[in-house]
Amino acid sequence: MQRAWHKLGLLCWTVAIALVAIACTGRSDPPRKAAPATSAKPAPGATKTPVDTLPAAVLASLQKAGDATRGRKLVQKFECNRCHDGTGLGAARLEMNCVHCHQKILAGTYKKAPASAVRKWKKHVAIMQVVPSLGSAGKRLKREWIARFLLSPHDLRPGLAPTMPRLAIQPAQARDIATYLTRGGKRAPALSLDSADAKRGRALMEQKACGTCHRFSGAPALNVSPAPGSELASRAIALAPDLRWVRDRYAPAALVAWLENPKLMKPDTLMPTFGLDKAEARDIAAYLLEAKLVLTAQKAVPKRLPLLARRVTFEEVDQRVFSRTCHHCHGNPDVALGDGGPGNTGGFGFFPRGLDLSSYRGVSGGLLDIHGERHSIFAPTKDGTPRLVAALLARQREEAGHVDADLRGMPLGLPALSSADIQIVASWVAQGRPR
Amino acid sequence: MKTKLGRSILVLLGALAIGGVARNAHACGGAWVPYLEDNQVDYRVGGVARAEKAFTQGKINASAASVIRMMPAVRHMNAKKSKLVARAQRMLALAVARSDGALPIGRGIPVYIRGSWLGKSAKDRKANLAWAVKVLATIDKTKKHSPAAQTDLAEAMARVDADKAQARRILEKLAKKDLVATPEGYAALASLRAQSGDKSGGRLAMKRCKAMAGHPAACRIDAKS
Repeated sequence: MQRAWHKLGLLCWTVAIALVAIACTGRSDPPRKAAPATSAKPAPGATKTPVDTLPAAVLASLQKAGDATRGRKLVQKFECNRCHDGTGLGAARLEMNCVHCHQKILAGTYKKAPASAVRKWKKHVAIMQVVPSLGSAGKRLKREWIARFLLSPHDLRPGLAPTMPRLAIQPAQARDIATYLTRGGKRAPALSLDSADAKRGRALMEQKACGTCHRFSGAPALNVSPAPGSELASRAIALAPDLRWVRDRYAPAALVAWLENPKLMKPDTLMPTFGLDKAEARDIAAYLLEAKLVLTAQKAVPKRLPLLARRVTFEEVDQRVFSRTCHHCHGNPDVALGDGGPGNTGGFGFFPRGLDLSSYRGVSGGLLDIHGERHSIFAPTKDGTPRLVAALLARQREEAGHVDADLRGMPLGLPALSSADIQIVASWVAQGRPR
Repeated sequence: MKTKLGRSILVLLGALAIGGVARNAHACGGAWVPYLEDNQVDYRVGGVARAEKAFTQGKINASAASVIRMMPAVRHMNAKKSKLVARAQRMLALAVARSDGALPIGRGIPVYIRGSWLGKSAKDRKANLAWAVKVLATIDKTKKHSPAAQTDLAEAMARVDADKAQARRILEKLAKKDLVATPEGYAALASLRAQSGDKSGGRLAMKRCKAMAGHPAACRIDAKS
């Protein structure tokens, strides 16, 4: 009997040890979700782009057609589908798609983050809610213009923030991309508008209230009708280009066809079909292409403010600048959802710079150059300005039409910081970057 | 005899209970990351974030205690398998280094999870510092030797006699390019320079530390370091 009790006790111990061993080592891991992880002579009457600083040789090279197959690969490389639809690649997944993500956050349908976070984000996603689709570009736009715009993006749509980033694109690459985006389109046949009546065209534009959505800077102001308060109307107004650029973007025949039936050329366009006949379309086209334009006043570079005498800490700089503007692209992949952003782990054709502006340690840790060497973002540039401050000032100059080929303005594809914000950053750097 | 059998049955029940708990755990000993269903919340995510905030505000020991409370087995967790664990271990490792292996957190954590963190013996302190260096070296490797990770590692190495030369090499290289990521890194460099007889170099590094530091304690040079 005693032996039986002893055996039962031993059995219990053995089973217990086996159970613990199985619990600790033998269990296979449950499937885990992946971490959640935009000199050729210009056409007659063409307007010089305010930021068009391209050399004549480059402009001449853009007249030639590129390679559409290479162009498609480049569209992939530069991740145009992170912002634009109609690239022929399909939209980027939500975490990588600036526009779709912002739209979902604003609509309250973003499900990959807690509701409290989405509420907080809503306040910061005012930009990139709408971005033009690149679909059917071949039927409408001049290939050379697309290439030029890629190399030297500028403010095209008065209703939208100028968010097209200055990407690291070479002229030959811009040509290839433009060729890919205009694939399938035929060169518009030559069309003379000599017999068209530009004056009548202007009157028709007034009659159709084109000025409700479009601005025509440099030309006499168009009349404006009260816009319907719908979301669709707001999107249409946001996407409507300044008509000043029509002569750069459209060949006469393409413009006439567009005016006659825009939806035939681009089914998803928000431009209404006004039922214009050919003669009316030609008259409007004549006005758009030939109206005498006054040079619009160039935006002045904001005045730089002097360094502050008071103490500026990292906390203030972080609240005013880094967390409000920079984190999204220069984040920490360990903390934020996603991959740390294109300014850290790479994207939009930029190689991984390894720049994390989400913490003091990250900011102090600098960035990688193209050779993989680390440099401080506070290192002085040629004129002694710390590199970080120089990049912020460069963005202000870019907005005023002065592009520095050697220095990309920051924030890339976002409005420039105010002089007061730059003053805060510059003062903090000058004070030794106190934490 | 019946008591013996009773004890055995109790042990069996205990083992069954452990098995039940461990079913929801990633593994024993390695990365203990609980598996969460879609509707469950890992409160340690917010906990580690709060601890990091406290850490940057200079509440080093409080954040270290919070890490130990959240992850009692933190010493044995594998940072390579979880970014959250790596973040928690980094804070703890720096706190350990800054306290020379003896965390002054006696009241901050329950007795049964204190282990050797309080560093009551020289052996414990040495082991704690060795653990801190090991953890920060792992993070440094994972982070591909980023200046932030290098600065943390060198700061901890500066506390270990055998690693001081290497710590100095790392910090001098970073300082040359203005990439020392924290004031504490400059404080460690100041100390290492002073110890090697480079007093003016030490003063320069200390000046840089003071300019960067939000609180004077960050530039305190411990007599031992």
